[in-house]
Amino acid sequence: MKKLALAVSLALAAGMAHAQTIKIAGFGAKSGVVRSFGINSEAALLAAADVINKAGGVKLADGSKAKMVVEFYDDRCNAEEGISVIRRIAGTDAVVAVGPTCSNVAEPLFGILQKKAGDAGDSGLQMPVFTDVAIKVGLAKISEWAFRNVPNEMTMYNSLFYWLRTQHPGLKTVYGGVEEDFAHSRATWYIVMKTRAEASGYEVLGTSKWLLADSNFATQVREMKKANADIIALSAHPFTTCGVLKEMQRQGVKPKLLVGLTSSSSLETLQGCPKQAEGIIIPTSFAPINKEANFAAKSTAKFKGAADLHSMAAWENMFILKNVMEAEGISGKPGDVQADRRKIRDGLARLKTTQGLMGVTKRDAEREADKPYLFVHAKKGEWKVLYNPL
Amino acid sequence: MLDFFQAVSDGVLFGATYALIGIGFTLVFGVMHKINMAYAAASVGGAYAGLLVLQVMAGAPPWVVFSCAFLAGGLLGWMVYVTCFHFIPLSSPLAPLMSTVGMLLLIDEVIVHLTAGMPQAYPALFDDVMLSMGEFTLRGDLMLVFGVSVLAMIALLLLLYRTRLGLATRAVAQQPVAAQLCGIRLARVNVLTFVVTGLLGGLAGALVGASVGTLSPLLTVPLTIKGLIVTVIGGLGSIPGAIVAGLLVGGFENVLQLYRGVTERDLYVMLLLFAFLIFRPAGLFAPRGGH
Repeated sequence: MKKLALAVSLALAAGMAHAQTIKIAGFGAKSGVVRSFGINSEAALLAAADVINKAGGVKLADGSKAKMVVEFYDDRCNAEEGISVIRRIAGTDAVVAVGPTCSNVAEPLFGILQKKAGDAGDSGLQMPVFTDVAIKVGLAKISEWAFRNVPNEMTMYNSLFYWLRTQHPGLKTVYGGVEEDFAHSRATWYIVMKTRAEASGYEVLGTSKWLLADSNFATQVREMKKANADIIALSAHPFTTCGVLKEMQRQGVKPKLLVGLTSSSSLETLQGCPKQAEGIIIPTSFAPINKEANFAAKSTAKFKGAADLHSMAAWENMFILKNVMEAEGISGKPGDVQADRRKIRDGLARLKTTQGLMGVTKRDAEREADKPYLFVHAKKGEWKVLYNPL
Repeated sequence: MLDFFQAVSDGVLFGATYALIGIGFTLVFGVMHKINMAYAAASVGGAYAGLLVLQVMAGAPPWVVFSCAFLAGGLLGWMVYVTCFHFIPLSSPLAPLMSTVGMLLLIDEVIVHLTAGMPQAYPALFDDVMLSMGEFTLRGDLMLVFGVSVLAMIALLLLLYRTRLGLATRAVAQQPVAAQLCGIRLARVNVLTFVVTGLLGGLAGALVGASVGTLSPLLTVPLTIKGLIVTVIGGLGSIPGAIVAGLLVGGFENVLQLYRGVTERDLYVMLLLFAFLIFRPAGLFAPRGGH
């Protein structure tokens, strides 16, 4: 009888050990017009967790293994909602949060985190946030608890315009189009695309502006037509990118080259206007060009998500976090959640490089990533690699 | 000067879609004295439903898609009536207002969930036609939108002024109690009003989709706002008012965009609305009797 009781106890103890989990909180837009970003991020997080768990899980400080569990929260791409979500996550046993989708959420959300880690006088949230999607330049410096694995648009567009200059030396002028009321589009045009084009020797002839929900682009496209620039660069998301491209077709505006916004190198653009988007060149940090990237894309598809530069950043984040957790030796015990969060923060802060799907990503002192990139262009309804500087 | 005329013509042609949305708002208000906030969302919903044709009949011509959107709009109009008005105490003005706001959000979110928020390419007729007179151009597809809108408005006016249903509708709009005493069934007229405005809305949604070339749930809120502005400027309950106001708002916003830029454009449209509310609160064509 004693032997039986001992066996049952051992079995239960073993079962409990197997049941140990490390919770990762994902968050992003799963409703509203950018819902696809949240769906894809969640799928990539779940797919990565599945791969990690099948390989044994995360090794904890005591040598045991824990499974990664992902819980995803919807912030509706709304700043207030995002802040509420991160507060809720902080109240759970999640050791790290991955998100958000939108820069207009990331900016205020990073603002409620503790500015300087360990500052006893700062009552801000002490929760490591590892962003996969929100891409507006320079946001991680807001808090030492904020980290990002998003492409460096400054580097990518600098390289793109330089490359275009070398490939098409006859092209001299650029005309811009920007979604004036969207944080990312605006910042990317005025801070990144425009300045990088000028730095590469292009003359920027002007900028046409529209709003995210606009439906009539006739006036803006007439401005483009008048400018008659060699290159038209659109810093806009798929809905208005397609609206503008269709209006350009109607008015017979045919620039020699079209350049698009990083976030538009997605299925949405090809679904909205495959014919009109033909030839548009976009720098991106993901394309299924190697074994690992193809595996990640296929694994994400099993969870009903699409692989793009954003969702694959979420995939990479999971593997980076696993390595950090193991290197820092988190305990995974309910009583140590805050200590584990601090260890993860410190571990992420120490990283100088990480391994991504496209190669090695450099990390800077402001907790931003400098990811490998390539240039894709729309060809017959698909994104094809145009140039791979890797 | 050419830019000015170009902006006016582009805006007025596109304003035809605002007029169609405005008519839907104004007709329901005229008959029931209630605002149906879900109207533009249901119109966009109808346009999305039109795309279902392409799922079963790949390469179907645009007019088939438009017809499906037209019918789906009518169905959605009926659904909005049943869910937001039929069982709601209409004596409280806030109740149907809030129920239709809820329906607006619901339709919006259903579209988002079904499409993951992805923009959908929408078929258009004459989108490759551009009439040119020197540098002055007119978009073929927008002229079609304008033409179809005018025909739809004429059809609606004929329905209202040349049929028994129209007579009943006008009777209910003017004196609901007297209309009931004459044997007109109020609930039947109300539901038919929603179906008719829904049909018109489905067509309007399809025409908006065709003129943009892409459909997105992003369209619902701006169209709701434009529809309400058009309704107020035209005069609550006035169909000719909604038509003229739709074209006026379309032209006005395009000219303001040309001269003041996109960031100030909506500011001036709102100022126009306030100017009407202050100096001509009954709108351009206030119906006799105040509604």
